[in-house]
Amino acid sequence: MAWAESMKIKGLLVDITGVLYDSGEGGGTPIPGSVDAVRRLRSVGMPILFCTNETQLTLVKLVDKLRRLGFEELKEEEVFSPIPAVLAELKRRQLRPHLLMHPEALPDFEDLDLSNPNAVVVGDAADYFTYDRLNEAFRVLIGCPEAVLFSLGMGRYYCETDGLKMDNGAFTRALEYASGKTAEVVGKPAEGYFRSAAHRLGASPDCVVMIGDDVVSDVGGAQQAGLKGVLVRSGKYRPTDEHRFDVKPDGIVDNLAQAVDMILQTQ
Amino acid sequence: INSKRLLISLMAKPMACRLQELPVRLLYVTNTSKESKQSLLSRLNHIGFEVNADEVFTSLSAARKIIEMRRLRPLLLLETKALEDFDGICLDNPNAVVVGLAPQSFCYETLNHAFRLLMNGCELIAVNKARYYRRPDGLALGAGPFVEALEYASGRKADVIGKPERSFFQSALDRLGVSAEETVMIGDDVRDDVLAAMNLGMTGILVKTGKYRNGDEELLPAGCHCHLSETFAAAVEYLESSLEFRQN
Repeated sequence: MAWAESMKIKGLLVDITGVLYDSGEGGGTPIPGSVDAVRRLRSVGMPILFCTNETQLTLVKLVDKLRRLGFEELKEEEVFSPIPAVLAELKRRQLRPHLLMHPEALPDFEDLDLSNPNAVVVGDAADYFTYDRLNEAFRVLIGCPEAVLFSLGMGRYYCETDGLKMDNGAFTRALEYASGKTAEVVGKPAEGYFRSAAHRLGASPDCVVMIGDDVVSDVGGAQQAGLKGVLVRSGKYRPTDEHRFDVKPDGIVDNLAQAVDMILQTQ
Repeated sequence: INSKRLLISLMAKPMACRLQELPVRLLYVTNTSKESKQSLLSRLNHIGFEVNADEVFTSLSAARKIIEMRRLRPLLLLETKALEDFDGICLDNPNAVVVGLAPQSFCYETLNHAFRLLMNGCELIAVNKARYYRRPDGLALGAGPFVEALEYASGRKADVIGKPERSFFQSALDRLGVSAEETVMIGDDVRDDVLAAMNLGMTGILVKTGKYRNGDEELLPAGCHCHLSETFAAAVEYLESSLEFRQN
């Protein structure tokens, strides 16, 4: 509770997968208490941004899915995904990307010139991470000395209803190793992501709390950017997350519902 | 050996014979994990290289030794042709993951299966960590990137068996009964063949074939020099003349 007592919370960043819902068969299942928790936060007017690195769907489809799962009032403007940031970066630097992404997410990139690529963007391709597709991306990187490698998040794994799955960070790492290039990370845990999110909420970073299930990407990343980071024991959480030498969460709660209990009691 | 390269360079065949006539001990070392030692030998013999089993030292057989020593039951991410080298090893209820060059196994589902085993405490063994190799249609990802992916996702560090590990080269030197200073390594991979061998004290010869790319020799640390040869044949000629020079 100390984390909620010791500060004036002016905004919340709430992770989606592992905090609002677990992805998996049939789109996934809401985590118990999360739908109600979001309703309670809205009722007190707490500014919220829902943060995700998930790029297996376009933003529109993701919001649609979450609404159908029970998060009825969710709006696209409340969801903070790395896609708009990477699109802006690609356009600014006039890069033509080779997309290693789930086909469902491709429509978000329609406006870009995808010919003769001089960049690679690695998103959540999941089953689309095949040897041949990774090889194609590798050849773009090795064939063009100025090619830039972007990774939408550098997650190690995420949790689905049937167990843990490798996240795209592992495949970005594969490409880094093969090509000798270092990826530019767009999305958690990049500092820029959290600072932009805090800015969107109109609050300074030290008045914003990130609530997430990934101790390194969500909690550690947020803390590095000057925010508070609270770990939930849902989603991909594992008990060893509480004893890391490199990240000490500001708070650890069972789930979003418990975090909201504490926020409502103290704010 | 870059086993693919030997198929292409016809000049290498008479050169390998000349190499065998020199007063030096030979060992062919390979990281290739796509086929068993027997399969490799058959192929080499078939195209004219008179090489025996005891002249070839592979990372797959080194990996098998480690598995036996540690009594491991591995999930083998290997091409079918390489599985033969693990005949007789128990594969039930795996407590280890062995990764070689296995494009067919590098799909999300199989990698995830391996990842979950690692998260449950299984050991990770990499037959080699080669970044890429040369295929007829261009460069292609080796086993290394996939080992990195599993290491990153699971947080487990792999035990790497083949080049450029010191232990692999030391085992090769032990097989020959020679010291590093008395030995020359000829290879096409500046990092994994030449630099690795030089780090143990061997002389390195980099051949400009196979996966060699223009300027690879610039990757060597300052002060580190290897001999550069156009082909394996040229490397043998260079060795011949060095040995003659010393004898005279």
